[in-house]
Amino acid sequence: MTAKLAEALAGIVGPEHVSVEPGALAAHARDATPLFDAMPQAVVHPGSAEEVAAILRYATAEGVPVVPRGAGSNLCAGTVPLHGGIVLVLTRLNRILEVSRDELLARVQTGVPTAKLAAAAAEAGLLYAPDPGSHTVSTVGGNVATCAGGLRGLKYGVTRNYVLGLEAVLPTGEIIRTGGRLWKDVAGYDLTRLLTGSEGTLAVITEATVALLPKPETTGTGVAYFPTLADASRAVTAVIASGIVPATLEFLDQKCIAAVEEFAGLGLRADAGALLLFGDDGQAATVEGNLARIEGICADEGALEVTLAEDVARADALLAARRCSLPALSRLGSLTVLEDVSVPRHRLAGMVARIDEIAAAHDLLIATFGHAGDGNLHPTCVLDPDDGEAIERCHQAFAEIFSAAIALDGTITGEHGVGAAKLPYLEERLGGDQVALLGRIKRAFDPAGILNPGKLGS
Amino acid sequence: MTERPIFDKDLLDRCISCGFCLPACPTYAMTGKETSSPRGRITLMRALETGRLDDDDPTLAEESSFCLGCRACETVCPAGVQYGSLLEQWRDHQWQGRRRPWIARVLMAVVSRPALLRLQRLVRRHASGPARAAAPEAPVSLMLGCVERGLYPGVSRAVRRLRPEVSVPAGQGCCGALHAHNGDSEGGARLARELGGRLPGTIVTTAGGCAAHLAHHVGRDRVKELSEYLTEAGYEPAGQVTVDGRRARAALQDSCHLRNGLGVTRPPRELIAAVADYVELPGAGDCCGAAGTYAMVRPADSRAVLDPKLDAIEAADLDYLVTVNPGCLRQLQQGLRRRRSRVKVVHLAEFLALAGG
Repeated sequence: MTAKLAEALAGIVGPEHVSVEPGALAAHARDATPLFDAMPQAVVHPGSAEEVAAILRYATAEGVPVVPRGAGSNLCAGTVPLHGGIVLVLTRLNRILEVSRDELLARVQTGVPTAKLAAAAAEAGLLYAPDPGSHTVSTVGGNVATCAGGLRGLKYGVTRNYVLGLEAVLPTGEIIRTGGRLWKDVAGYDLTRLLTGSEGTLAVITEATVALLPKPETTGTGVAYFPTLADASRAVTAVIASGIVPATLEFLDQKCIAAVEEFAGLGLRADAGALLLFGDDGQAATVEGNLARIEGICADEGALEVTLAEDVARADALLAARRCSLPALSRLGSLTVLEDVSVPRHRLAGMVARIDEIAAAHDLLIATFGHAGDGNLHPTCVLDPDDGEAIERCHQAFAEIFSAAIALDGTITGEHGVGAAKLPYLEERLGGDQVALLGRIKRAFDPAGILNPGKLGS
Repeated sequence: MTERPIFDKDLLDRCISCGFCLPACPTYAMTGKETSSPRGRITLMRALETGRLDDDDPTLAEESSFCLGCRACETVCPAGVQYGSLLEQWRDHQWQGRRRPWIARVLMAVVSRPALLRLQRLVRRHASGPARAAAPEAPVSLMLGCVERGLYPGVSRAVRRLRPEVSVPAGQGCCGALHAHNGDSEGGARLARELGGRLPGTIVTTAGGCAAHLAHHVGRDRVKELSEYLTEAGYEPAGQVTVDGRRARAALQDSCHLRNGLGVTRPPRELIAAVADYVELPGAGDCCGAAGTYAMVRPADSRAVLDPKLDAIEAADLDYLVTVNPGCLRQLQQGLRRRRSRVKVVHLAEFLALAGG
């Protein structure tokens, strides 16, 4: 079986881009999600959309599962080959094809790391706004497939707001181009948006055309410390209510502050119950004015201390520290189970309180950080990997956290995706009719059911 | 099947597979393959530990050798994974006996025998002897790296010109970094402790690789790499390094273990800037491919890592490229010689001595 598969794949991409050795298979049995692990039969690195198409035609004919993968940094077990088959690694498709100042767009192959796209845009005086925490690692294709969010979501939205068009390969082998270079285009169902967030279950994305913005003249960042997360949440609501939509409103709870400080050594205050990282960009006078107003509102809401970053280096260091919250937390215990619930912004404090109650009821250490401005929280349970009983309690606690989020008009995942990790909870969020519709859409794209089986709509 | 555990469980458990290390890894940049990334290699180590992969699995053999051991991944790892230590444990298992590359076996045998080390002295004269200046309150010993002793005796002579208070005790052995990086971490640790016992006071070394290894085993506070020592001792250069009557243009190539292992980046840059026009090379902190025995064990891969760096050096219009580790010195000298470049590659000690220190 493996020999036949390897030979067929080698015939398409060349033997040097096919791996069937046990070592290569073991390295692709997991992604950044803990507790999920399954061995594929082959790993293949195609070099073009045409090669992807040939692989998918073969897989559909033979009924072999195919799991598309970028950098494997997703946090929902979206790229774990639950049913074996082929892991299709798209990192060879790594060229930036075009950055256009005239049209304010870029065209990139799917395997370009997001930070490289952002850097190429910046070089042309432009901004690629989506900036997920993993942007140095994760790929544009992976970001589109999960509709990744980031630290600027409040003001700028998420990946879906920037995808103008896609080149994608259907499981049956056709190469389609959706959308294009147009801001207005209502010809047909919006397949660009359907594929965005489809988690590799409908088609393999091979190229993306994304919208860019003029680079803001300046950016500014500040930090406010509060006695409790509830105080910080109140300040967030007050900031938005005052008419300011800042680029960044991120928070860390006390446990996260301590972990991040240990890694980054930025002199963060360990005695505070919550840290609010705020930032804005735009014209210098506007940024300065907005930051001053946020500073004032935080003080009014009981902040222990508010400081503005004196320079870009300090601001970058603060943002980088926020980005590494998850791995920094792993210093407390080597198994970190992180989730991604999202609630309407004004319910953030209520959700945080529910998380704390649930953690206490199950005797678990759950630290929470996230995007306060979006109501998107990342409760992270820190565990001993050998304590099976605690892992069981953790699963129970997260089931309750998902239910709590839904009860607060929220969702089970804001930006990480459903993957294999949250599929059991999808029906609770969507209802049976929508889940059935997802299944029908999936079958329309993928009649043989080969693409990322065991995930959305399968 | 050999005994388990192969790895220190706490070290292996540290990695959460977030992948933040991928962009920092030179071999991942070369192949784009998960198996040649730090995260992928840790997944391989785990598969070895659990028995998912056999002891003689070819991917394990290849990847434990393909890794440069530069530890660039450690500096970007928010989870604090001690990759360098994991690699040592991996090679302890992987490179037992005849499975160790033969070049590494030969070198380890040579440096383990003081008689053979003394033979080097017949060929090259390096500085030795007690301190020539008034003895400082606490003794300061210059450690003579094995490679440097053989190939670059001028480096230790330059150090003694710069700092007469430094003594060079006779009868030094190897610090053991070579052993630790080539599958004998126990032997490496023992040699480091023995050397630490033989050299009195603060140990100054001109090799970033030796500094990191020694510091790990005899204590960070006892070991100073040369640039650190000079900076802390308040060294003031007497003049400038000039070329054709103008200030020289000079860049630094970091030593991986000095930068990634000990976090020393500013002192060598500041010292160069004090005597010349300092140029920061793009990728100055990336591995040059020397990587201990790597350049000899895997010459083709070593050159593939080096080549982009040579391009950057040639594009920078330099007079001097300054190194802080003899392995880097040799690698860059050979690389630039192949390209017939006019850029001179020198050790920091020799460079500062040019300023009339």
